Amino acid sequence: MSKMKRHHPFQILYDLWELIKNAFFFIFLLFVLQAGSESWWVKYGRIAFLVVFTISMIYIVLKWLTLQYRLTDTAFELTEGVFNKKKQTVPFSKIQHVKRENKLIHRILGVTSITFETTSQGDNSSVKFEVITHKEAERLQKEVFQLKNKEANEEANIKLEEEEFQPNSVEPERTIHFNPTKKEVLKASFTSLSFLAVIPIGASLLSKLEDSFPFEQQADGVISFLLGAWWMIAIAVLSLALLVIGAGILWTYLRYGKYEIASDEGKIYITKGVLEETAFSITKKNVQAIQVNQSLMKRILGLAEVKLVCAGGKEGDQSDVNNLYPFLPIDRAYQLIAELLPTYEISNTMYRLPRKVFWLRILTPSWVWIIATIGLYFWKPDIFGLSEYWWVLSILLLVLITASRILNYTQTRFTINNQYLQFKSGGFSTSMFISKRSKFIEVAASRNIVQQKLGLATLDTVNRANPVLHTSIDDVPIDWANKFFTWYKGRQQDMKTHG
Amino acid sequence: MNEQLQSPEHKLSSKSVKVWLLREAIENLIGFIVFIVLFIFDYKFTWVDWVGWVLIGLAVLGILGAIWGFIRPYFLYKHWRYDISEEFLQLKHGALKEEHQLVPMTKIQSVSTKQGPLLRKYDLYSLSVQTMGSSHTIPALDQEVATKLRNTIAQYAKVEEMGE
Repeated sequence: MSKMKRHHPFQILYDLWELIKNAFFFIFLLFVLQAGSESWWVKYGRIAFLVVFTISMIYIVLKWLTLQYRLTDTAFELTEGVFNKKKQTVPFSKIQHVKRENKLIHRILGVTSITFETTSQGDNSSVKFEVITHKEAERLQKEVFQLKNKEANEEANIKLEEEEFQPNSVEPERTIHFNPTKKEVLKASFTSLSFLAVIPIGASLLSKLEDSFPFEQQADGVISFLLGAWWMIAIAVLSLALLVIGAGILWTYLRYGKYEIASDEGKIYITKGVLEETAFSITKKNVQAIQVNQSLMKRILGLAEVKLVCAGGKEGDQSDVNNLYPFLPIDRAYQLIAELLPTYEISNTMYRLPRKVFWLRILTPSWVWIIATIGLYFWKPDIFGLSEYWWVLSILLLVLITASRILNYTQTRFTINNQYLQFKSGGFSTSMFISKRSKFIEVAASRNIVQQKLGLATLDTVNRANPVLHTSIDDVPIDWANKFFTWYKGRQQDMKTHG
Repeated sequence: MNEQLQSPEHKLSSKSVKVWLLREAIENLIGFIVFIVLFIFDYKFTWVDWVGWVLIGLAVLGILGAIWGFIRPYFLYKHWRYDISEEFLQLKHGALKEEHQLVPMTKIQSVSTKQGPLLRKYDLYSLSVQTMGSSHTIPALDQEVATKLRNTIAQYAKVEEMGE
């Protein structure tokens, strides 16, 4: 049992920095923009600002004085509160993820931050140390996980229900699985270039503007406008494009340039960020499902995004915690899954949808298309001055929708492989989903009237996550749906055979 | 083709149709009164022209809805099935869109029976089950059946799962 401790004194500096950051707008407005102003609102605004600012500063100091923590053998004990005292105990066993973040200010001050996230939801869901020395952070993390490992090992000795949990007394060895190369980062940045699509849209808006302000009589559409000063436009477009590409590469580099995925027996560790470093870990046992997603752009470049669906964690942080690395080469992605989560078996032989689904997909009326066509008929948008060809757009949309549906039909796959379920679906972008029988908290099937006639069903699975994750697959044959239900009913076996 | 998904067997209370019909009748009566009042107002205060048309449109929809409302209970009763085993609660309902749910007992967090005034009149209960991500309701069960089912589910659900 240790003594109650205050947070690092730099916490005051950190809070002050945050306060100034938040107050920046007011400071700028009241003391820079309106520097010479004598008007009443500036005068009173300044007074109010100074009062609030002073009170905030006093509060920061008081907060630091009252915020204390201590580690017992099994839990964090926290006290806080300037006016209302609050005492809180967070047992280590409830902790799911650890996240470390090095913002710029942390780097300058030579400290770090650490957050322990628990399974519970709401305000008290995490234990956060915004400013802490690297040494202390290491110590806390070690304390928390030593106990957690010990508990887990004891548990594992009694009921070894998860294969990945072998009792081990040795300090686990970390293996580094992935570091992106320069080439990969460059490739990744191309997927974020889709916003280059703004250029044609901007051009069409420009032509609209010309129409509504008829000061240039001879302007009929962008084309003549472009021809008017083509070299100027060319230079402008080129430099804009270069700027956008440069910004995209820089942005990608800052976010994904420095990235490391490592793991040991029980956990996966991810460190990322060039300027602001973030590190967090995921307990393998908490992984509820794996998703491998590919957008159209990523498919063209042969990249994929691997997401680990976890229970617990804060809602806003989910995407953060989940994402392994959004720009993995596809082969590398599957290899990485096999390395990180060796118990997950990915099967290569999967079933396809029956032939009749092809016709179902093509013949089902598309509401999007119907509504869009009606809209186009009445509105007749004026793109490039071709308003009478509204039906071309309608046909184009129909072609796109049909293509997406055909792709969806040809790409949908499903299989059950021992205790694993695997779905793949999607049209232009695809998503592969893998999870275990024991991780589904509920399953459902539904059949609309057409599906009833054709002997098909839609399956829906639910995984623990925050919020719960629904995954569904459309139009599987009824036999397979039955097989799926029977398979799910056998989930108790998994608990017993491993227990 | 008329292949089926494996279905649970137990039906709802046979009195459920009566309850739904009664509820439908009461709701329609209230709707009818509201419409009459609105039409009278429309006539008396000579509201703008389109209000009358909107009211007529709504009334037509209301009548169609009422007809469906009186047919629906028979379908609902015919297609509602549930089953429990030591490990699972299984539900099936819906005629136009048939829905099946399979909920492991270990994932059930709470179970409750409820009774509104209409259900009380026929001595029926509705039973609802909460899980981590959803809630399911069996709409109308006889009293003994409901109580027994609730207690059984509570007992089965208490069994601790090791798979977490």
